[in-house]
Amino acid sequence: MVTKKEKRIGEKSPVLYFILPAIILVAVILIFPLLFALGISFFNWDLIDESARGFIGFSNFVNIFKDKSFWNALFLQLGFIFIAIPIETVIGFFVAMLLNREFKGVKVIRSLLLLPVFVLPVLSGLTWRLMLQPEYGAISFLLTKIGVSQTTWLAKPTTAYAAVIIQDIWRMWPFMFMFLYSGLINIPPSLIEAADLDGAGFWDKVFKIILPLLKPTFTTAILLRLIDALRIFSEVFVMTEGGPGNATTLLSLYIYKQAFRYFNIGYASAMGIILTIISLTIAIFLVRKNMMMESA
Amino acid sequence: MKRKKIKKAIIIIVSILILIVELFPILIIVLNGFKRDIDIWSGNPFSFKPTLQSYKKIFQRSDVWLGLKNSILVGLISTIISLIVGAMASYAIARFDFKYRETVAYSFLVSRMIPQISLAIPLFMMFRFINLIDTLPALIFAHMSFNIPYVVWVLLPFFSDVPKEYEEAALVDGCDKKKIFWKIFLPLVAPGVVVAGVFTFMMSWNEFLYALVLTSSQAKTAPVVINGFMGQYAPLWGQLAAAGTIMLIPNFVITLLFQRYLIEGMSGGIKG
Amino acid sequence: MILVLLVSTFLFSQPYKGSTIKVLVWDDALTVAVESMIKQFENETGIKVVFERIPSGSILEKLALSVSGSKADYDLVSVDEPFVPQVGNLFMPYSAWPEGKIYSKIDLERDLIPGVAEGSFWNGEYRGLPINGNVYVWLTRKDIVNNEQYKKEFMQKYGYELDIPQTFDQLLDISEYLSTKGIYGFAPFTKNAEGATCEAIFMFESYGTNVLVQVGEHDFEVVLDKEKAVEALKMYKELCKFAPPGWEDMGHSERIAAFNQGKVFSMFQWPAIVPDHENKDQSVVAGKIYYGAPPAGPAKRAAIRGTWMLGIPNASKNKEAAAEFAYWWSSYEAGKELVKVGMTPARTDLLLDPKYVEQKPYFVGIFNSMRYSVSRPRIEKYAEVSDVIKVNWLAGVTGRVTPEVAIDNIIKGVNEVLEKYGY
Repeated sequence: MVTKKEKRIGEKSPVLYFILPAIILVAVILIFPLLFALGISFFNWDLIDESARGFIGFSNFVNIFKDKSFWNALFLQLGFIFIAIPIETVIGFFVAMLLNREFKGVKVIRSLLLLPVFVLPVLSGLTWRLMLQPEYGAISFLLTKIGVSQTTWLAKPTTAYAAVIIQDIWRMWPFMFMFLYSGLINIPPSLIEAADLDGAGFWDKVFKIILPLLKPTFTTAILLRLIDALRIFSEVFVMTEGGPGNATTLLSLYIYKQAFRYFNIGYASAMGIILTIISLTIAIFLVRKNMMMESA
Repeated sequence: MKRKKIKKAIIIIVSILILIVELFPILIIVLNGFKRDIDIWSGNPFSFKPTLQSYKKIFQRSDVWLGLKNSILVGLISTIISLIVGAMASYAIARFDFKYRETVAYSFLVSRMIPQISLAIPLFMMFRFINLIDTLPALIFAHMSFNIPYVVWVLLPFFSDVPKEYEEAALVDGCDKKKIFWKIFLPLVAPGVVVAGVFTFMMSWNEFLYALVLTSSQAKTAPVVINGFMGQYAPLWGQLAAAGTIMLIPNFVITLLFQRYLIEGMSGGIKG
Repeated sequence: MILVLLVSTFLFSQPYKGSTIKVLVWDDALTVAVESMIKQFENETGIKVVFERIPSGSILEKLALSVSGSKADYDLVSVDEPFVPQVGNLFMPYSAWPEGKIYSKIDLERDLIPGVAEGSFWNGEYRGLPINGNVYVWLTRKDIVNNEQYKKEFMQKYGYELDIPQTFDQLLDISEYLSTKGIYGFAPFTKNAEGATCEAIFMFESYGTNVLVQVGEHDFEVVLDKEKAVEALKMYKELCKFAPPGWEDMGHSERIAAFNQGKVFSMFQWPAIVPDHENKDQSVVAGKIYYGAPPAGPAKRAAIRGTWMLGIPNASKNKEAAAEFAYWWSSYEAGKELVKVGMTPARTDLLLDPKYVEQKPYFVGIFNSMRYSVSRPRIEKYAEVSDVIKVNWLAGVTGRVTPEVAIDNIIKGVNEVLEKYGY
């Protein structure tokens, strides 16, 4: 009986046969947890103290709105994105331009440049932490050699925030490079040559020919980076643990702290929901724009 | 002519400089793996007397073995399940017309963008409730939350590119849709499956937050073990670097071997 | 086969044969020492011990994960003193612990160093068995204060004898003097970690003030005296002027390294780390250190206490075996052996045993220091209170804000935490 029914589904509606397993799994490990988080965000939910739990309506959200640390964390997270990604894009683009020519060894350089993208985020964070050690870190050592006085980079708010961003730029501009280079090689050389004959300068070529042609590639690459950057956690967590003070406590770290250090599960869930809404808004906006462009 | 030569020389030098800067931190990791902790703490970061001590030490540690074993198991199992389930869904989206097709497709895409930390808390609560904290199944499920949507989208273009004639010919031969998928489509998109599998595995391999939240001692993965080398009082940089180097090997092998597919792999179906 | 088992049970009289307990402890020299001896305990009692060591910073998270009112994955859990208020109710009061069958139950007041037990007290009960004599001990370089040349010069310049500093003012004088000799007077703890909160409370208490006081059963009040707290912070900043380079970001490893290289004159240390300073392979100052109570502020001497207790979760199903293990750990017989492999005991008879006083010069220091021991704020939401203190204290110490602003921010921040949780 059961087999017969299954067979019917398979024959009449093969779509379900193919798509149901994925939908069920995703529902269990993605949709349900999100709904669960949404539910819990209306509770005061202390992980340890069971007596303190209770439904509190929108209180968590009201408190978040009043929580200075939350705004600070959100600001840091967005700041991270809006500083790191443009710089990565610019570096990636110019290096792609630079390496979009043939000379001996250029292939090897192009491949090796991509390695940082694939370094484990945890390892990247830890390595930068080591390199910035004032006493025995390699970067500190080199900086002292060129006359920069020894300093505790990760103990000062500004330099720590900068260090976290530089770490990300180091790791991720090659990602931009990879995409932009793959776009560049598809631009017909004849277009550039024609511009050369017209006597166009370097910047003319960049702004009038290359950038417009690369626009779809830029959008894709930036979108992907954005998704990634909104999720950033581990690198910063291992590099600074959010410190000094709250100088590098990005929103994701602040949520983690509320949930797993202070055990305010309800409050943390509410912030998680807010972060999800922000991410999805940005993502849907960009995806839609992107996809529309594709169909046009 | 001479100017051109100078220009070329400058380009080469600049390229090499950029490469050195980019590889410098990786070099630090690899070299430190061959140093003793104490030599890293004290003195010049560029002095180098290679020793295998740190490697010897990490291979004597049971937590390193456990972490590597867990990382491999979680990576492999979540990859295999995600591949099967994801390929089926991707096939359906690419080759069938059905109600809500677009909605389903975009739901998969959008679900990739949910920040991990937002999911980590409810997953933690769920697994705690059913007593699965610190077990591999919990971690495998958690990893599938980002792996399945990824596989679906990476494979979409591969399935779409298969010409209709294959399908029609098979239908004429009397295959049903299920058979067509397993016997005809899957072999045709094999390169795509390999690419998706390799990158899925790498995402699991790199994952840290879920492992941090959902495991403590029995199911912890290698990235958590590596972070543990920061230690209570004094960081064990040498062992950390040695274990880190080992973790890097699969990633770098994949990068260099799958060079041609990096873009497909990294963009996971999002195309401009 | 069964017969053999039965016979052997009678022969070796293992009263708990067949029970297994899971123990969760922090990870340092002491617990490594305990682990190395567990076999012996297992043979004596027949209890199988699963001993899990994890970094002290993760214990609370792990505890929250695995122990609740109705379920306990562990039968014995170590809890750091400041978190006793938060989790204390999960544990069986010590007064209800069963008597031991092999090792006798510890009398908290008679057997342990005075002061130790307070760390495990919450809500009218001791919530577990304190397990280590963990308190700030003050390290001072004997060889420096006994240097004749230095003594003469110091006398001339400051008008009193160079000796172990008894007050912060003396420490400051000596630090200033030693800076002319290329020695750093002091090493602070300035990493963004719990150690920074300890330093803040240590200074506040020495200057006669504290952060929180409990009023009534479920209410707290911020009582930090701004004037005294600012003075305390200013003194700390003064001392930091004579700290090694990189002092703005010093944690355990940096402090150990600086002191062991002979660069630092005086600083606090936790007992668990002291053996590192006395290890001749790692330290050029081994054998040259005097251990005592910290120097006094204008109000008093204070030493931060951070004892760990072993607690039995209410939901544990092996309470008797768990208690037996805790008694064994605290017993004189086991302690004797554990001391050899690096344990710092909480028992008076061990700490002051003449056998060890020579070998372990810091034991007397711990005992003396414990007399002045103070606790960090005791409140359920300690983690958050500690973060507020730590962040603002460090901002003040490193000069990102003025001392006045730093103290104001502590008062404001702690009040906000109290308000948030409806105290």
